[in-house]
Amino acid sequence: MRLTKVQWIGLVLGCMGFILPLIFTFSGLSFAGHMALGIFLMAAVFWMFEPIPIYSTSMLIILLEVLLLSMQGPVFMDATLPVETLNKTNGQYEVLSQAVSDQQLYSVSSDGDVVPHKIDVRSMPNGKLQVQSPDLNEGMTIISNADHRLVNYKPNNYSDYLATLASPIIILFLGGFVLAEASVKYNLDRNLTRLLLRPFGSKPKFIVLGLMLVTAVLSAFMSNTATTAMMMTVILPIIARIETGDALKIGVALSIPFAANIGGIATPIGTPPNAVVIGALSQQGLNITFGQWMLYAVPIVVVMLAVAWGALMIIYPAKTKHLKLDLSGRFDLSVSAKILYFVFGFTVLAWVTESIHGINSSIIALVPVAVLTFFGVIDKEEIRNLPWEVLWLVAGGLALGIALDRTGLAQWMISSIDWQSLSNIWLLLVFAAVAVSMSNFLSNTVTATLLIPLAISLSTSGVAGSDFSLLITSVLIGVGASLAMVLPISTPPNAIAISTGMVETKDMAKAGVLIGIVGLVMVMIYAIFVWPLI
Amino acid sequence: MSEQIHILVIEDEPEVLDALVRDLEDFEELFPVEMVATAEEARTVIDDILDTGGRIGLILCDHILPGENGVELLVDLQEKPETKSTRKVLVTGQAGLDDTVKAVNEADLNHFIEKPWTEEHLHKVVVNQLTSYVIENEKSFLPYMQLLDSTRLSEEMHKRGNISDY
Repeated sequence: MRLTKVQWIGLVLGCMGFILPLIFTFSGLSFAGHMALGIFLMAAVFWMFEPIPIYSTSMLIILLEVLLLSMQGPVFMDATLPVETLNKTNGQYEVLSQAVSDQQLYSVSSDGDVVPHKIDVRSMPNGKLQVQSPDLNEGMTIISNADHRLVNYKPNNYSDYLATLASPIIILFLGGFVLAEASVKYNLDRNLTRLLLRPFGSKPKFIVLGLMLVTAVLSAFMSNTATTAMMMTVILPIIARIETGDALKIGVALSIPFAANIGGIATPIGTPPNAVVIGALSQQGLNITFGQWMLYAVPIVVVMLAVAWGALMIIYPAKTKHLKLDLSGRFDLSVSAKILYFVFGFTVLAWVTESIHGINSSIIALVPVAVLTFFGVIDKEEIRNLPWEVLWLVAGGLALGIALDRTGLAQWMISSIDWQSLSNIWLLLVFAAVAVSMSNFLSNTVTATLLIPLAISLSTSGVAGSDFSLLITSVLIGVGASLAMVLPISTPPNAIAISTGMVETKDMAKAGVLIGIVGLVMVMIYAIFVWPLI
Repeated sequence: MSEQIHILVIEDEPEVLDALVRDLEDFEELFPVEMVATAEEARTVIDDILDTGGRIGLILCDHILPGENGVELLVDLQEKPETKSTRKVLVTGQAGLDDTVKAVNEADLNHFIEKPWTEEHLHKVVVNQLTSYVIENEKSFLPYMQLLDSTRLSEEMHKRGNISDY
């Protein structure tokens, strides 16, 4: 493993971030909150500087959470609350000095809950504290060390953190992965592309429109990157036939990654940031169905595709009048392929009709997994080839969300800002703008993972005001994270397009900035006027 | 950048060597081109490259060389694990049937270029061979897309799914 200078800086900063909360004590944050803060700082820095792969950071998060925060980890394994019985001495309550912190004394209720009490304190010459409060009674069980690590924190079972790997959204993705893998094996995606492109004729303008629509539809169900790689094999021969100097070359080369990035927004399985949003919301008890997500996302996808198409055609007008596409090729008609077509169609249909039959989309996602392997349509080769690291990446993000929530860290972080002064619209704008700009430089998934906990704690703590909607804000973050396409590093599809040498970074930036700005405006319009109606 | 993929050209006639190297100029920014005149020198250069962590992606080899001939060298390199995956191309006007058969069967010869060659043809062969080398030996294809066969590399990327969405 050889690291660049930036990666070294990231490695050192990340480790420092981890150690920082172990050295300094922040008031108002529980002991477990300090642990979680260390994990959070380290993960955020590692995700930004990537000294280790981003999925590896997720794996590290889960390991550290199990070790440092779970009931079974070494930190909390043998921990018990130090308690004593409150008794009167000379008619007054006296307690050990460490039993009081921030003018609070904690008692344990009969159910085992820790209850804080605001008290008046007077120091005694014997080093003890005299405490007064109407809450206190003789014989009450109080905690004799208010800074103990179990005060204000009930450790989770370690299986809660491990279970993120099999959470419903992960299983939904698994179903999508299996369908995509099988489609690649039987050339379904390529043959669909040929079929769907036929009606678009030979005018360059409409061919680009066709390419973008097909790319978007495919990337709504397959990974954006796999779709881009496949579409590259379609467009590279076309580009080679366009005369040198015709701006259409650039337009075509950019149309694919842009359409793939935008298309991924359309369904829950389109791209990992969607999973982060849906997974985090379901932890809060807000379950978004497959169809519901599409109701939020598809209109914006359609508009953004139109915007991207228009922008590319205006910035890079075609000189060529006619383009010929090679649309030959036949569908695989073997039995295995036919089973795939059927299962694919059935699964997608069942996903979008969840509101009718009521069966959860994650349950449906197991159908392709079980049936395709049952008939040997895919075998262990393909199972091994699934992008498991993406599932780990998302699971790590979900596990981080659990820790932030449970330890009170998320609340503590947002409590330092005066959110009341921001109206809901400003709040949405800040989240959208940060999501779009951040994900131009960071992984889209990481952007969503880092922003969603903030939205959640704003909502659960109630500081954001009554017109704040967690659902809308979260969807906005997820969509925003996918609208970043300014730089080659913004998304893998962008990186592929640049690597062909057909486009330069400045071309991508020109069109990408335009799409980013229009996208920001559109997502705001939807979030304020349209989504609240759904 | 010592892990670079090198191109090795073995040709004893200086004018021919010059012509070959001139035609390979386009590749130089990504694939350093090394030139030698004999099989002996070729081994030294190969050892040097391997010692610094580099790899040999492609060998363009003349058949008639002073001392050991080209086919013998290629057969020998095919038997070594470090140069087994190297793409091997014979560039010659004079190899007899026996030598050619030996090169194909024992050195797993990948291509045969007959002298005189055209720049276009040579270019195409080199692109093809290096693309195959990259597909077989590299994890990330993106750095090679511009210079090599991007359609084939995209195709392979799609099939393998070696880049995921992040």
